Amino acid sequence: MALAFNEETFREDYTYRNSLSGIKRFPFPFPEDQYMYSVNIEPHTKGKQGSVFEFPLDVDEHYVAECNDKKITLEQDPGRYQALPHMMDAQWDFVELTMESLARDYPKHFSLHKKGSSWTWENKPLGIKDTFTFGDSSTLPMEPFEYMGRQVQGDFVLLDQRDETLYADAGIVTSQADWSLAFNVGMSWREWHGPVPRATELGVMDRALKFMLNLQLGSPVRRLNWTMTVNPRLDTSPENYPYWGGDRNAVNPDNVGDLVNLRVELQSLFRLPRSNAIVFSIRCYLISLKDIATIPRWAKRLHRVQKSMHPDLIEYKGMTKFHPMMVDWLAKFDDGAILEVGTQPE
Amino acid sequence: MERGYWIRSKPVYTSLVWHEKATSHLVVAQGEGGMAVLKIFQQMHPKQPITVLYAHASASDVDYANTLKKVVPEGLQILASEQEVLDELKTILPTMRMGLRVYVAGSEGFIWAVSEAVKVFGVEDADMMKELTGTLARSIYCVHCKAITHNITTNIAKCAGCERMLFVRDHFSRRLGAYMGLMVDAESPGELPEIEEIYP
Repeated sequence: MALAFNEETFREDYTYRNSLSGIKRFPFPFPEDQYMYSVNIEPHTKGKQGSVFEFPLDVDEHYVAECNDKKITLEQDPGRYQALPHMMDAQWDFVELTMESLARDYPKHFSLHKKGSSWTWENKPLGIKDTFTFGDSSTLPMEPFEYMGRQVQGDFVLLDQRDETLYADAGIVTSQADWSLAFNVGMSWREWHGPVPRATELGVMDRALKFMLNLQLGSPVRRLNWTMTVNPRLDTSPENYPYWGGDRNAVNPDNVGDLVNLRVELQSLFRLPRSNAIVFSIRCYLISLKDIATIPRWAKRLHRVQKSMHPDLIEYKGMTKFHPMMVDWLAKFDDGAILEVGTQPE
Repeated sequence: MERGYWIRSKPVYTSLVWHEKATSHLVVAQGEGGMAVLKIFQQMHPKQPITVLYAHASASDVDYANTLKKVVPEGLQILASEQEVLDELKTILPTMRMGLRVYVAGSEGFIWAVSEAVKVFGVEDADMMKELTGTLARSIYCVHCKAITHNITTNIAKCAGCERMLFVRDHFSRRLGAYMGLMVDAESPGELPEIEEIYP
């Protein structure tokens, strides 16, 4: 099936929107009425047709606009791409993973032809066609990880495994929820997750690390993470916090349904064959409260989850200023009916 | 501070102790770190070759150079500044062999500047002992303009690069040798919390 790509923006006039089918396939992250951190990792296996889990790398109606937004962010701040020198094998692993996935799963939009180590890659939506030598960086216009990182939705971090831990030794990060790649690059798992409240206390990070160290080639895993954000903005980086931080002041009881968005990260992890590194993919999905309210089950669930949120998490997720307004706004959609466990829309 | 609070990314610093199985020792210290060097020589004088680099940190700082000259049996170099210490490391490290252990003592900024300098020559973090001495002052990396401002002793400080007022986050990068600084009044311009000295 050929996708139709939206013309939309993730900054300034924020014309980002979800189609009806975009709303239906949204990866709603709350199976229960209460939320607390958990490892919640599951195999990244093929999901239902049309769902965000159908393919290892999901391409949707926002693909072209998101790649354009990524390009703008990288132009303004080239430091959003970082790769330590020992990560070159992992870079090529990443190229192989992404090109093969996209060409196999979206053949109308992407194609890959190999003649020995000479590869021809075509990306029709972005108008890119290049022939290069796999393994030879000089045959691409930029480092291989950046080249393909710009052509896939979401953020990517390459984790190097040594000393019984994982080091974030490369990344292309333009849609992050308030963490800085330039600051974190080279950090070990434990250092990187230093500032997450409650999670370390619960032992969540140690268990997740143990799990990841044993990740096998061909058996990727995934989990969902979430936050709430004002405006459908991908670049909520600490780097640009002076430019978006003030948006939180604009929320009032009348516009909260339009301005506040649920931001869900589909995080997936793939072991890479040559480097034994891990790709950590962080794909961001955005939906306004108003669009959530078109799905009664989700509106009720979100209301209950937010109402019972731990105060530390409200603070950590930057929701302090608009949280009460959001709960009040959602309350009118909640009749108190019992909801079965599960994230399905109906 | 809340009970159970723990800065996970902050390295643990200990007192220097000789690694008896090392094939040679490199001791690098600055300012108050001179006392840590004197202490380690109170433990023993190792059999293996020793190199000691020392610079006093600033005019007001205690200078242990003269005492060190009496105590350190060989390989002592007194240098004029931290920068000279870092330059000297680049000169001597190519001649050093496997089995070298590195000991560093001084301010946090100094410790991680030395760490970066020796890492280039393949010295692993595990092969380096670190003792924090004299001051808790922090180096701050401005996440907005990427400048690093040194010797910050307060919870909030002005960035030397972009002049934004930065909140000093408890999040440390060994590679940068600095804590993250984030604009404190982005959401409400001009409204600053009370500025207090907490890293004397």
